[in-house]
Amino acid sequence: MRLSTYNFLTSKAIKGVKVGFPLKLTIAKQDVVESEFNPTFIERLLPRLDWSGIRLAAEVAGLNDDIPAELPANVAENEELLKKLHHLLLEIDVLEGQLECPETGRVFPITDGIPNMLLNEDEV
Amino acid sequence: MTKDYSSRKLERKQRRCEAIIHTDVGIESSEKPTCFLAILNAGLSTGLTEESVLSNAIQYAPVQQVIMLPNKSYCFLKCDNVNNAERIYNHMHGRAGLEQRGGVVYLSYFKSLPICKEENIWTKPLPEGLVLLPDFLTESEENMLLKAINIEDVEQSDLKHRRVKHFGYQFIYGENNVDPTKPLNEKIPNECDILWPLLKTEMTKLGLPTWDWDVPDQLTVNIYEPGQGIPPHVDTHSAFLDPIFSLSLFGDVVMDFRRGSDRQPLKLLRRSMLVMSGASRYDWTHGITPRTLDVVPSETGLTVMPRQKRISLTFRRLRRGPCDCTFPTLCDSRINAQSNLCPVITDVIAAQLEEKNVHSVYDCIAPHFSETRHTPWPRVAEFLRSFQTGSVLLDIGCGNGKYLQCNNNALTIGCDRSSGLINACLERAKIISETSTNLPNAFRCDCLHVPVRSQAVDGCISIAVIHHLATAERRLAAIREMARLLRPGGRALIYVWAKDQRANDNKKSAYLLQNKALNKNKTTVEQQRQCAAAEVQQQQTEQFEPLIPGAPQLPVHTNRTDFMQQDVLVPWKLKGASVANKDANNSAPSSTYLRYYHVFESGELEAMLAQVPDVELVQSYYDQGNHCVIFERRQK
Repeated sequence: MRLSTYNFLTSKAIKGVKVGFPLKLTIAKQDVVESEFNPTFIERLLPRLDWSGIRLAAEVAGLNDDIPAELPANVAENEELLKKLHHLLLEIDVLEGQLECPETGRVFPITDGIPNMLLNEDEV
Repeated sequence: MTKDYSSRKLERKQRRCEAIIHTDVGIESSEKPTCFLAILNAGLSTGLTEESVLSNAIQYAPVQQVIMLPNKSYCFLKCDNVNNAERIYNHMHGRAGLEQRGGVVYLSYFKSLPICKEENIWTKPLPEGLVLLPDFLTESEENMLLKAINIEDVEQSDLKHRRVKHFGYQFIYGENNVDPTKPLNEKIPNECDILWPLLKTEMTKLGLPTWDWDVPDQLTVNIYEPGQGIPPHVDTHSAFLDPIFSLSLFGDVVMDFRRGSDRQPLKLLRRSMLVMSGASRYDWTHGITPRTLDVVPSETGLTVMPRQKRISLTFRRLRRGPCDCTFPTLCDSRINAQSNLCPVITDVIAAQLEEKNVHSVYDCIAPHFSETRHTPWPRVAEFLRSFQTGSVLLDIGCGNGKYLQCNNNALTIGCDRSSGLINACLERAKIISETSTNLPNAFRCDCLHVPVRSQAVDGCISIAVIHHLATAERRLAAIREMARLLRPGGRALIYVWAKDQRANDNKKSAYLLQNKALNKNKTTVEQQRQCAAAEVQQQQTEQFEPLIPGAPQLPVHTNRTDFMQQDVLVPWKLKGASVANKDANNSAPSSTYLRYYHVFESGELEAMLAQVPDVELVQSYYDQGNHCVIFERRQK
C-alpha cells in the first residue's frame, strides 16, 4: 500500500463510526520504490488529498520534518516540497503493518502490501 | 538412393504419428501385423468420414469396426483376422485415394484399439421408449400412401436442405412450433387411417404400452434427396404429445440418436414405422447426417449403404398446453417456467449465496481466471484515459488489476472482494513492473462497503461486478456506493453481463462466438445442454455440496449459449492439471465451479440508476455482451 492510497481509506462503514478518518497507521515493513517525478501530477493530486492524512503518514514514515503543518499556498512553485510529497505518497510502499479505526480500535491488517478492509456482516 | 531416402522419411513420419497416438490414447503400435490398424494421418479433424474410410477399406477385406475420434487426425480399423488387416495395409499404406485432396495416407498396426464407448454401437439396446417396427406396410400400402400425400406438387421450400409438406397444422420452423389456432385446410389424408389400428395391434403384440389419445392431427412430410439430412433436434415438448410416429417410405437411411456424449445409430428401412416415446422422445435428439453413404452392420462386419431418395411421414398430436414430462433438460415448458420464476432471496441468503457461489469460487479459480483476463476492453480503457492528470480513479472489483495501468497520469486504486484475485493482481504487476515502476494500489473490501472517503474520487469503474449480487436491493446498493464516492462532476462506468448476447443487430457476442463446436456444426445447443447437465449432476453426486437453507434452486447455464433465465449459475471449468504440467499424464480430474450471475435485461441498469439521487445518466450502451452505463454525480 502506497501512502497516497492510505489517504483515502476510512472505517466509516463500521456501524456507529462517525468519521473513521484518518486511520491509525503502523508500519512493520516498508519498501521504497523509485518512480518518475511528475510535478504537475503531484500538484493536481494535492487538492484531492487530505492534509491531516498526509501529515500522519509523514509522521509514521519518519519524514515529519519534510512536510509542513499546513499546505503552503504557493506549492506549485515549491519543487522541493513537491519532490518530498512525491517520495512520501508514491514511493513508499507499506508491505506489512496495520490500519486501525480511530473510533472503535478495529484493526485492518496489511499483508504483502494489501490492506484487508473487509468487514464482517455484523460490523456494518 | 532416392527410394531409401523417401522410405526413411516415411518411416519417421509413422513413428511420429504412433508416438502422438500413444500419448493421446495410450495404445502401442506393433511391428508385427495385428488385427488393429490405424490410419495415422487422416481422421475427423482432416475431414475424413467414417463412411469414406470404410467404403475404401472394404474393397480389400471385410472390416469389423471403425473408430473415428473427435478432433483427431487419425482413426482405427479392426478386422476379424490378421490376414484381412494385412490386405488392407498393403493396399492403402503409402497410397493416395482416401482423402479428397488426393493426399497419401500412412498406416500402422497397433496392439489394441483405444478404449471407446462406441464399441458395440450397433448392438446396444435402443434408447428407452424407442420402438422400430420393420415391414410395417406392404409395398402396395406404401404406394397408396405416397399417392395420397401427393408430393409431386412440393416445391423447393425455404428450408435449405430438404423439402417439406404439412398437413393438419403448419409447422413453423423459426419457432419450432405450430399455431393451434390456425389449422390448415388440408387434413391428414384418410388413407393414413389404416395405420392407427395396425399400430395399436403391433404394439400390443409386443407387450408394449400404447397411448391414451385418439389419432395424430399433424403430419409433416420430409423429402430427402440422397445426401440430405436433418440436424439433431428434439421435437418441441410443448408442441406435441407423446409418442411421435415416423414412417419411412421409398428409401432407407441411418438416423442418429444422441443424448449428451451418447450416440446411437438406427437403420430405418423402407416401410418401417418408428415410435418415439418417453426418454427417446423427450430426452434424446434425433437427426440424419447429410452424407451419401451410411455405415451399417453387415454379415462380415461393417459396410456402407448408399443413400436413396427417402420420404418420411412424421405423425404427431398437438399438445395444446405446457409439457408435463419428467425430462427437464430439453423441455421448453420447464425452461420457460424457470425464466418467469423470480426467486425471492433475502439479504442473508443473498450474502450466503454470494459467499458460496461467487467469493469462494473466485478464490479457487483466481490464477486460472486471471490467465484468461489480460486484455483491457477498449471502451473501458478509453473511459479511464478520459480523466485529466492528477485525477483519482477507483476500480471496484479490480480482479487481476488489468485496468490499473490504463491511465498513468492518474492515481488509480483498485479493490476486490477476492484475496485470490488481489494476489493475482500483485503477480501480474510483478511481471509488468520490469518495465514500469507503477506498483498496483489495491486493497481488499466488499463493493457494498468501500472503505474510501465520500466524494473523494474523480472516476470509478465497476466492471463485471454488480451482476454477482443476488438481490435487486444489493445491486442498487452497490450503485449508490459508487455514487457516494464520486466528487461532484465525477463520472462512473458500470459493465454488467447482458441476458441478450445478440443485442448488436442479432450478431452473436464474443461469448457466443467462442462456441467453436457449435459454430462448426459439430454439435447442437441441445447436445451441449445435455452434456452440461450430466456433468453438473455427476459433480454434485461426487462432491457433497451443502445447500443453503432457503436458497432457491438456480438453473445451471450452458456456457457459450444464450441465457434462458436472469438468475443463473454459470460453470467455470478448472482443469486439474495446469498448463505447465500438461505433459504429465496423470492429469487430475477437472472440476466445475458454479458462479452466481444475475444477467441484466436491456434497460434494467438505467432503471436502477434512476433510483439513485444526485446522479445523472450520461450514456448507456451495449459492448462485448454487456450492458454499460456512464453516469455523473451532479455539481452541487
